[in-house]
Formats: sequence, structure tokens, C-alpha cells
Amino acid sequence: MAEKFSVVGKRITQVDAAAKATGAARYTVDLKLPGMLVGGVLHSPYPHAKIKKIDKSKAEKLPGVEAVITIDDTPKILWARSFRDLPMAPSGSLQQPDEYILADKARYVGDPVAAVAAVDEKTADEALDLIEVEYEKLPFVLSPWEAMKPGAPVIHNFAPNNIVVHVTPPPFLVKGDVEKGFAESDVVVEESFFVGKQVACQMEPQACVASVDANGRITCYSPCQLAHPFRRELGKMFNKPVGMINVISPFVGGSFGTRLSCHNEPICVALALKTNKPVKLEYTKEEDFTATDTRTPHYYTIKMGFKKDGTLHAFIIHTTSWSGGYLGRAQLAGGITLVWGLGHYRCPNTDGWCDVVYTNVPLGGAVRGYGNPEIMWGVEQTMDMAAEKLGIDPVELRLKNVKHAGEMANMGLPIESSYLDDCIKEGAKRIGWKEKREKREEGKIKRGVGMATMTHCSGAWPLLIEHSNAFIKFNEDGTISLTVNPGSPGTHIWGTLAQIAAEELGIRVEDVNIVTGSTDATMFDLGSHASRSTYVTGNAVLEAAHQAKAQLLERAAKMLDVSPDELEVKDRQVYSIKAPEKRISVADVCFNAIWNLKGESLNISGKSSWASHYNSVPTAAYFAEVEVDTETGEVKVIKFITVVDCGKAINPMTVEGQCEGGIQQGIGYGLTEDYVINKDTGVVESDNFTTYKMPGTLDMPETEVIIIDKPDPKGPFGAKGVGEPAMVGIAPAIANAVYDAVGVRITDLPVTPEKVLAALKAKSA
Amino acid sequence: MAEQKVKFMVNSRSYEIPIEPHMTLVEVLRDKLDITGTKISCGAGECGACTVLIDGKPTLSCLTLAITAKEKNILTIEGLAEGSKLHPIQRAFIDHGAIQCGFCTPGMILATKALLDENPNPTREEVKRALAGNLCRCTGYVKIVNAVLAAAEKIRKGGS
Repeated sequence: MAEKFSVVGKRITQVDAAAKATGAARYTVDLKLPGMLVGGVLHSPYPHAKIKKIDKSKAEKLPGVEAVITIDDTPKILWARSFRDLPMAPSGSLQQPDEYILADKARYVGDPVAAVAAVDEKTADEALDLIEVEYEKLPFVLSPWEAMKPGAPVIHNFAPNNIVVHVTPPPFLVKGDVEKGFAESDVVVEESFFVGKQVACQMEPQACVASVDANGRITCYSPCQLAHPFRRELGKMFNKPVGMINVISPFVGGSFGTRLSCHNEPICVALALKTNKPVKLEYTKEEDFTATDTRTPHYYTIKMGFKKDGTLHAFIIHTTSWSGGYLGRAQLAGGITLVWGLGHYRCPNTDGWCDVVYTNVPLGGAVRGYGNPEIMWGVEQTMDMAAEKLGIDPVELRLKNVKHAGEMANMGLPIESSYLDDCIKEGAKRIGWKEKREKREEGKIKRGVGMATMTHCSGAWPLLIEHSNAFIKFNEDGTISLTVNPGSPGTHIWGTLAQIAAEELGIRVEDVNIVTGSTDATMFDLGSHASRSTYVTGNAVLEAAHQAKAQLLERAAKMLDVSPDELEVKDRQVYSIKAPEKRISVADVCFNAIWNLKGESLNISGKSSWASHYNSVPTAAYFAEVEVDTETGEVKVIKFITVVDCGKAINPMTVEGQCEGGIQQGIGYGLTEDYVINKDTGVVESDNFTTYKMPGTLDMPETEVIIIDKPDPKGPFGAKGVGEPAMVGIAPAIANAVYDAVGVRITDLPVTPEKVLAALKAKSA
Repeated sequence: MAEQKVKFMVNSRSYEIPIEPHMTLVEVLRDKLDITGTKISCGAGECGACTVLIDGKPTLSCLTLAITAKEKNILTIEGLAEGSKLHPIQRAFIDHGAIQCGFCTPGMILATKALLDENPNPTREEVKRALAGNLCRCTGYVKIVNAVLAAAEKIRKGGS
């Protein structure tokens, strides 16, 4: 297999790495336009309050202030942070738009209430202090349980009991008869779990720049991962056709799902429209923590019934998606949680529901793989609880119940390829599962091993359209320009797409110039989400390359006086398979096509509009070895192994990088990242890297990433998605290892020393 | 507050500019000199993204008042390569896949330079300790530590 490819499967260094290593890469925060103003946002200090009056006169009088805006200065059009108020799916799973650009009423601490634009940051800050807002404090609710109580304060009028929507699974996951299924089961396990508000913690704070030209055309520089859908939403918000808006994507200092939405961009555009000058709006890290969205928290119950031999027979999930003051992605997170959970293992009887509940806390949104890490935290612990009751090894119980190729996947389509069995077996071998599970230590430090599995997606079809475009043109020296939309958020997608194009066209990766960065210059692309860019945009690139190759060979055939059918291209040479001495360089063909004196001019090119109508399932198994200090309750991860089946790895170095980063995020999710909201005030107390602890170098264990590297039939050169799978099962593998070490099960994230100590105390009582 | 004229060297070039005494070094670098390779993430000394070298010492430029750098030599990421020739640490970060989004990279690379200038042959543990103040959300630090060890070896062997 390996020798078949010249570029795919190689550990190439990344096309944009040199710009980043030298400081040359310009991120949104680095942008400066001539005459640019600095924006600032005034956030609500109260979790729930009527805005009775805003006096902006003092702020407006401050020299250097060019605009002070409130809701009255913006179009009163509701928008949805998920962009899902506009059709994006084959069947309508639309979301109620619920946000104005600036708040009509404060619904969480951090809600943007007013904004300013001034000549510099200092003046903008002073102006914010001069805005006088008269609030009428309202009773507030910080948990979904309080919010659902009769008589609770109403956050949005359209949801009188604060329940936004009652979500049920897609029809293919409502199967059989669960009650009968549980009655027929020999072992039934039921447990409740909680997963909290993980913060993406991308290193570049949220920022944007907006400008308006003389014709009223808007340009917005934004790190949003979904540039084209964002442009459409922006058009809706400002009542402009999309042709009047250009969204430019600079280098992006980390995304991890939080950039699926826009955040302060609408405010920035409103300021630019008001002042007719370019405006830059940068959030501080504290604003990032409180006024952009986090992973959506969930309270849920899992019930699983098994036959004596370990066959999963009935499975139900009831979950409450804890929305903030606006929906963000809480509704989608709730629905997709059911899909990931119920769709993972083979089971004849499944059902579930999810209530999405408004509260007065910051927004629940998307973070890496959203829905899947949340629900696998509980599913994979419940599997271990069942394994113990059944007297079956957890590894064996998974092997018995995982789905295989041809069975129906989580999204309701057949699994194209799955090597999850291989992942589980390989991981168990590498961690030394059998020996370590049986080993018990003397003394206060106990060791344990645990595991988890997952299945994910390569794009969101059929829950969402998966449409990407690619355009390739050959230059007269045989190099190409490849125009695609995905930005550069650190996933190395440009290099991956360049490898795909180069492989198909028989050229080198360095012969590929990526053209990207604006919605004006690129054709439609849904954007980077759901581990889809390699798979969906990659297939678009492959198809465009295929077309360009056909033109190249046809042109070469004329020059060599042979049939195009007998030509192939490799190492930048077009040659006849029948008579390899008949050959011509790609550069010569391209030069002849462009600088053609006979008038047979052609710019060799290829273009593809690709819509994915299948969805290959990446799978993974995770193995953790931990030490638990029984005196302090501290959990230390000693070793972590991720075994991933992402199809053919286009660039193994990139796949490893994704998985290693996923381990860091998963360890943080599992052990230390705790979003704390003050119960009396609604204020976020963990709003920086000191109070919200994400792992540093010293918190990382020894890690190992094993790539199964078997091709999928539908992915480009056999590739499936990998970005999100990287973090899905990390936390439950750690929790299962903690149980193996000390026999206590922590069901609420994160596994803090306090919870472990309390559980140990309860166990020994 | 009254502006003061301050003279310092940035990447071997001399600057004499008026600055307000409250301005931090990173503000002066980014806003006054348009040297934007130095990044601000937390702005509070928690993440290391703004690390520069002042007279060879790794320093958080977001917590450093610019006037305290008076008459000193400041090295930012832009000053590390010699023309188009990358420094071995930069080369190693690229070759080992240690760069993803790249926002922590300038700080990481300069913290690495400070380490290797003092300790040309660090152990893996010493590298992790030296970079403990530099946060990264993309890489899990694995390839960063590998890159530092590889760069150290290359520099020891006199390579560049």
C-alpha cells in the first residue's frame, strides 16, 4: 500500500509553519487598517436585569470617542449564534433566533449591553466607564433545576417555563421497545452524570476588524471557522445581501469549536457602520471566558440493559442541556448528544430525550467534538459498571458490542469502514491491560488502568449539508494554485489539501500554492467543523485535481501524439504507460497551453462542487494509566495511549499532533478545568488561566498515538476525520482508571482531589 | 502622564521613541513599533505567549513596563533568524510538527532559546520545566519538547 503513494502518507512539514515560526504570520489581533478605531464593549454586571435607561451623553462627549451604541443604534433583528436559524440541513432542524446584536435585557453576567469606538484603547476604556446604565435587577436562575421550577423567572418570553425545546433523537435512533428491552435484560445499570462548561482556551483572544466602503459594502476580518455561513448570518442581521459582505479569514490562533460562531463581530460591524471607519474589537481573555461560548454543560442519566453474555439489549439517555441566557449551541448540543450516545454501540432497543433549558449563565456552545466527549463521559463509565456486574472484562465487553462496517452508524448511514476492534486490541496490548488490571499496590499511591472508545463523523451529513468547492489552475511552470476556503486554525488543513492535490497531479507539495482567505475569492465551503475538512473539502480537491489532470493529459497527448488514455503523470512528468520513453514535463505542457502561438490557448484547470452524501466514521480507543494518592485525592495520569482509526493518514505527523493536543484537552476536561460561577452573583470566578487550570507541560503524561492507517472507501485516498475524535474518550478512560485504582466512581466532571477524597471517605464509611 | 523618550535595541536595531510610563513592553512593541510577532493572550503573565528576551533573559513583556527596558537589548521572534536563514530552534519546531495554530510559538521558541543558551544539553524533564510557564492548547506539548531536544542536539553539534 505504502509504495503506491508519492506524497500521501508522508510526514511533510506544514506550508504555513515558517510564517508562524518567524512572527510573520498575521492574526486578526495583529491587523491594522489606516484610520482604524478601537472598539470596546460594556457587559452586564448582573445575571438578569431590565435595562431601563442608558445615558451615553458623557461618553459621547469624551474627546476621541467616535461612537457609542446600544440596541437602539443597531438593526433589531434577532440572530442565532449557531447560524441554524437559516436552513443548513436537508430536514429542517432550525433554531429559534434569540439574540440581538446588543442586549434588550441582560440575561447573564457578560451580556453585551453597549459598545464604543474611539481613537485608541485608553479612550475606549474611559468611554465605557462613562456610560450610565440604569438596571432593574431581576430574580435570576443559575441552574436548569431552578429554571424549570414553576414560577421561576422567565428569561425569554417565547419559552415561559425556560424549556426552549424538548429534543428527541432522530427516528433511526428510536428503535424497538426500550421498556420491554430492559425487562428482557439480565443486568441493568443506571447512573447519572454531569459534564460542565469547558472553555476552548484558544490562545488568540476573540477579535475582529470591520470596515465599510463608500458603496456600503462590509468587510469583516474574523477568525470564524464557518466563513461562508457566517457571511450569510451577518447579511441577515444587517439586512444586506451576501454580495455586499466579504469575510476575510486571517491566521487563526486556535479554534476548537468556539469559532464555529461569531462573537463580537456583529458589534464591530455595527460600530463600523456607525462611524464609517474601520474598527477593531478585541476581547481580553476574561471577556473570552465570560462573553463567548463554552462547551455546553449537561446533566444526564444513562440506563443500559445487557444480556448475560454481555450483549447490549436496551439503552436510554435522558439529558438536560444547560443553556446560558441565549441558546448558543445548546439545542444542537442536546440533540447531537443523543446521536453520539445512542448510536455508538449496537443495540436493538434505544430511545432518549433532551430538554434544553435557559439559565442566566454565559452561553453554552461548541467545543471540539461537541456532544460526544460530553456523553461518552457517561456511556463509557456505564459500560465499565456493567462489565463489573456482568463479570466480563471491559475490553471484551466493548469488543462484543462495537459496530462493524455495514452496520448503521450514529448518523443513520452505513459504516463505510471501522477498525475499532483493532484499536481496542492494539491499545490493550500496548498499555499492558491484562497484567496491570490485576496488579494491586501497597501504600498510599494506587495505580490503575482504564479505557474508553468512541465513534464520530467526517462531517455532519445528513444532519447538515456538507458542500465544499475547490478550484485548481496550472501555472505555466507546472505549479498550481489551489483555491479553497478553510482557514488556518492550526489543523494543518492547507498542507493536507496540498498533499491530496499533489498526489493526484503527480507534482510536489511545494508546487501547490494555497489561495484562500476571503468569501469573495473562494467558492462556497461550509467551513471547518465536525472533522470534515480533510474528508469533504479533501474530496472536492481530489475531484478538481482529477479534472485538471484530464485536461493536462489531453494536452500532453496532443503534444506526444498518443492517446490520453495511455498517459500517466508522476514526478512532474507525463509519460506513456505503453512506451515510457514518450514523455514530457508537466511544466512544458502547461507552458505550451498558456503561451500558445497557434491560438490553442488553455489555462489547464479543474473545479469541483462536492457534496458529501455519505459519512465515514472515524473510531478510536483510549487507554489511561493513573496514580491516585489516597491521602490527597490527587489523580496523576502516568501514561496515555490513543489508538485512532482515521482511515489513511494523509500526514501522520498532523494526525499525531491532533491526537496529542486532544489528550491535553481531555486531561484538562477530566481533571482540572472547572468553570466556577458564583452562586450568589452569577459572576464567573474562573475567568483566566490561573483560576481555570488547563494542563501545562508538567501536567502531561507520557503519551503514545497509534494510527491504524487502513483506508476508508469513501475518503480522499482513504482518509477520515480526526480533529475531534482526538479528545472524545480521554476523560472517561481516566475516570475508569481511577475506579480501577481505588474503587470509586466520579460521575461529575472534573475529577478533583476533593471529589476523590470524599468518595474514598464514603466508601470506607 | 508625560511621555518619556526611551532608547533601546530591538532585534539589533536601535530605537529612540517617546512612550508613556504606564505602557507595557508588549504594547510598545506591537502598537508603537508594529513588531507583532510577540503575542498577547492572557495579558496577565499566566500563559507565556508574550515572552521576549531582555539581555538574554526570558521576560513576560505583558508584565514589563517598557521604560524598565531602557538601554537594554530586546530580542523578539522577528530577530531570531539571520535574514532568510532560520535559527535551528525555528527549524526544529517546523520539522518536528511543533507548530499548530502558532500563537504560542514565538513565546515557546524564545523560552527555548533562553533555556538552551544556559543549558545546551537539557533532559526531557528539564525542557518541560523550562517551558512550564508557556501554555499551548493545540499540541499537548509532545512535539514541542521533541523539537527542543532536537534543536539542542543540532546546536551542540555546531549545526545551524
